[in-house]
Amino acid sequence: MEADEQTAAAGVTPSKRAMGDAASHGGSDPLEGHTSKTMDQSLTELRTHAVEMGGLVIDQVSSAVKALLERDLRLAELVLSREPLVNDYESRLDRDTLTFIALQQPVASDLRATRAVARVALELERVGDESKKIARFATKAGAASDHDPVVAVARYLRHMAGLSTAMLRSAVRALDEASPALAHEVLALDKELDAEFATAIRQLMSFVMEDHQFLRATIDTIFALKGLERIGDHAKNIAEQVLYMVEGELPGRKGA
Amino acid sequence: MSTILDPQTATQPRQAATMQGETRAQGSDTPSLSIVMEDRKASRANPAKASADKLNFWYGANQALKNINLVIPEHQVTALIGPSGCGKSTFLRCFNRMHDLQADTKYEGAITLRPDNVNLVGPETDPIEVRMRIGMVFQKPNPFPKSVFENVAYGLRLRGINNKTELAERVEKALRGAAIWDEVKDRLNDSALALSGGQMQRVCISRALATEPEILLFDEPTSALDPIATAKIEELITELRQRVTVLIVTHNMQQAARVSDFTAFMYLGELVEVDATSKIFTNPSKKATEDYITGRYG
Repeated sequence: MEADEQTAAAGVTPSKRAMGDAASHGGSDPLEGHTSKTMDQSLTELRTHAVEMGGLVIDQVSSAVKALLERDLRLAELVLSREPLVNDYESRLDRDTLTFIALQQPVASDLRATRAVARVALELERVGDESKKIARFATKAGAASDHDPVVAVARYLRHMAGLSTAMLRSAVRALDEASPALAHEVLALDKELDAEFATAIRQLMSFVMEDHQFLRATIDTIFALKGLERIGDHAKNIAEQVLYMVEGELPGRKGA
Repeated sequence: MSTILDPQTATQPRQAATMQGETRAQGSDTPSLSIVMEDRKASRANPAKASADKLNFWYGANQALKNINLVIPEHQVTALIGPSGCGKSTFLRCFNRMHDLQADTKYEGAITLRPDNVNLVGPETDPIEVRMRIGMVFQKPNPFPKSVFENVAYGLRLRGINNKTELAERVEKALRGAAIWDEVKDRLNDSALALSGGQMQRVCISRALATEPEILLFDEPTSALDPIATAKIEELITELRQRVTVLIVTHNMQQAARVSDFTAFMYLGELVEVDATSKIFTNPSKKATEDYITGRYG
């Protein structure tokens, strides 16, 4: 039940699955319809766990940024306390995909889906790490002031958090629904995130030139911004894994 | 599904994805991730050793093969997979004219053997000649009730080789080629039927190799063997392709994946798809192939 709340909160409820546009593979759900029900069940479970993990991780990102912006120490602590859960998900998915490969010997789309789940778990775990760093910064940032680098780029932090979580959400939904269209949405958003990052850095540079006092906090803020930019890259990697899972080719490599 | 998560901070703006998506044109992003499985390059096709062209085959009124077009690359392993009754064994047996032993069968089209372009299934072609050039190994080890030596020497004697030294040399070479020499070198005069299943099968492979065929056909060569004997045969098949072109029918998909360079999927007498094995088992082009190899068939 809690899991349902979690994933619903992040907008990535594991859904009835629609098969994107992979014409050659057709069918209703690409991962179901095996003669062996164990195969169906294991694959669905793997993917469901990855989607749940996605829900948790997305919440970690937005909570960490919120904690930083609002100087909400308790929220920052919550993020830090949930970090081991993210790691648990990752090691569990790592173990489960390995067991699934060993016992069921998946091939073709099944093999690609299995690999996608393992890689997605790894990417999400790294997103979790970035959230942890932002939350840790939030715990030591102290009270907000007029001369505060976080305040100076608050607009960008908020926007980048929105963008990166939107990318993650689409990427995880793309995995859930095996949807290339959603995956392509993620790829398209990454440039905007990179542009925001560049602008935020310029803003910080003028800030620190005016006031050297906050050099330490400025560096931490740069790390936070960089973390959000990296989260976008992880979302992009997830989207690419989904495209490989559904289409059998990575974007830009078709017919290669 | 149960989990321990308890997020109280669910404040995701749900419209974010759509909002951001709309403000952004469908930019073509260059993926930084450039690690793609390139190993299909490893399975580039050699020149053809044989090719089936518009091959049809009938058992009486029942058409078992329908317009098969397939190139068999030289010195590579081509695996034929498909459900029972799909025609893969029928296709394999066309290569050495085994169907001729059965009444009321009919070939149409051609299987052309290189380099001399003889049509293996042409009525003008002598099946005995064909079988001299195309060896076959069956599902169940079927050595003759003779000694190990005589089993392997049999085909050579048929060809008029009676010189003892030459026979001994060629038998040894064939037994070594089938990776069984060390196990039988002291038992050459024992009955081949006294060997284990895996050993018998390798004696049968030696028997086929002794006459130096150009193509070696394997029809489910390991389905009667235990995993260790199977591994030995598979290893042998991998080695054999240095010397001979291999065509193998197998129900064991993992075996096809392990030993072959190319995999052909057949269904209801038709060739559905043929491609590099690495391609077939990671990203087949046809839905029927995908359904079969992932266990969604039937």
